[in-house]
Amino acid sequence: MIVRVDAVHVAYGSASVLHDVSLEASTGEAVAVIGPNGAGKTTLLRAMIGMIQPTRGRISYDGKDCNGLRAFEIARLGMVYVPAEKELFPGMTVFENLELGSYRNVRNTSERLSYVFDLFPRLEERRQQLAGTLSGGEQQMVAIGRALMGCPKVLLLDEPSTGLAPKVVEELYRQLAKLKTTGLTLIVTEQQVQLVLSLTDRAYVLEQGLIRLSGKSADVLRNPGIKAAYLGVA
Amino acid sequence: MTATLFDGIVQGLQLSLLAVGITLIFGLGGVLNLAHGQFAVIGGVAAKLLLDLGAHPVLAGVGGVVTAGLFGVLVDRSLLLPVYRCRGEDRLLLGLILTLGLSFVIDGYLNYAFSEFSLTFSLPIPSVKIAGIPMRTAGLANSLVAIVVFLVLFAFLRSTLLGKTVRSIIENEVGAELCGIDPARTRMIIVGLAAMMAGLAGITQGLFSSLGTEMGPEFTILGLLVAVVGGVRSINGTLVAGVFLGIVNAFASRYIGAYVAYIILLSVAMATILARPGGLLARST
Repeated sequence: MIVRVDAVHVAYGSASVLHDVSLEASTGEAVAVIGPNGAGKTTLLRAMIGMIQPTRGRISYDGKDCNGLRAFEIARLGMVYVPAEKELFPGMTVFENLELGSYRNVRNTSERLSYVFDLFPRLEERRQQLAGTLSGGEQQMVAIGRALMGCPKVLLLDEPSTGLAPKVVEELYRQLAKLKTTGLTLIVTEQQVQLVLSLTDRAYVLEQGLIRLSGKSADVLRNPGIKAAYLGVA
Repeated sequence: MTATLFDGIVQGLQLSLLAVGITLIFGLGGVLNLAHGQFAVIGGVAAKLLLDLGAHPVLAGVGGVVTAGLFGVLVDRSLLLPVYRCRGEDRLLLGLILTLGLSFVIDGYLNYAFSEFSLTFSLPIPSVKIAGIPMRTAGLANSLVAIVVFLVLFAFLRSTLLGKTVRSIIENEVGAELCGIDPARTRMIIVGLAAMMAGLAGITQGLFSSLGTEMGPEFTILGLLVAVVGGVRSINGTLVAGVFLGIVNAFASRYIGAYVAYIILLSVAMATILARPGGLLARST
């Protein structure tokens, strides 16, 4: 298992957000985390990359214990987070945003850059444009591209489809499927349940900070309770 | 008229040099450094001590700048550590209180230990004529130093990877961390650089007039004023604001009187902040 989350608790003050959450992903696997708003999906990803310290439980990546590591240290190890807010550098160019993604590994910058431009040709056209002036879809491409620049082994994507037009989402998921075939491990949270379940191998259903259900994505998709709750099908 | 304008630009560049460090430390660390003027005085005092030891003036200047920089790093790694552990408003307030306290300590110590202190550099040729206007070489040298420093700073921020990491943290600290950038390390380098530039401003102050140990608070206030008018996160804005306020100050002093000049300076600064709250060069949204 390249990623192992073991019985993690997270609390903000006295309000606990995650209870006893466990999750694993093996190399090259794509894993979905679905659930309603406020279930703790974002908190889970943030705890995994060290933006939040869990009150209990263990998080490990590639055999290394991640508890107590800061976000930049975990990013350097190769587990990179693409938040829903994207957290780009709006006043810097697309090229500079991408360049900073590989700042730990400057020698690879040009090679990784052509890889990212191959995946998202639009970014090459816009390379000198300021990131803050891009459309939502293009900003998401920069965010994912920036994460890929650092040669990650695990990519954590938080609601990549949020705020994007359906056509753009479709295109984005095509590229994510392509990334999956390269052996990259993906952990994706998403509101668009059907879409993410067709991309991933396995899925976890997170509700009110608890894992309610987990299993093969195809099985989760067929689960009557899931259908009723998330797909609006009785 | 032209001489006053020239004078204003010289003073303005001096102000920018002082203020740019405030802008950098605020942008990167979220701390408004109220001891920044004292960093400048420390640079000047160190230079003077080296001069008294018989060092070459250039060497003394470099020594002063380096001392100020090391002092900045020391402050970053000690006094400011608890500040960086706070977020948002808490960080700003704690930073204000601690750096204000630091400024009192430095002022008290320097005024006590170097009560007769004054740093003046005299250049071999006091003035030259350019296009028929007599200009003080000190002013020219001073401006030249400031311009070179700004050019180097801009090149550093624009073209080097370290400079880009600095800009990335100013733009979005969370995003920078997600790229694997260690904000603490970058911050330490920048506080050191900011203190070096302040130290340099303290030394160049001795070039065109004289530097006294009591000038720290005045430097801090002028620096803050320039940084705020420039937009407090914009380095270009700081440069423009410094020159602008320098010119305002020179004209007000020349035609109205030195004391009233301060009131005019503050009024202009206030008017500018009201008119352009995001800073002189803020993109209008």
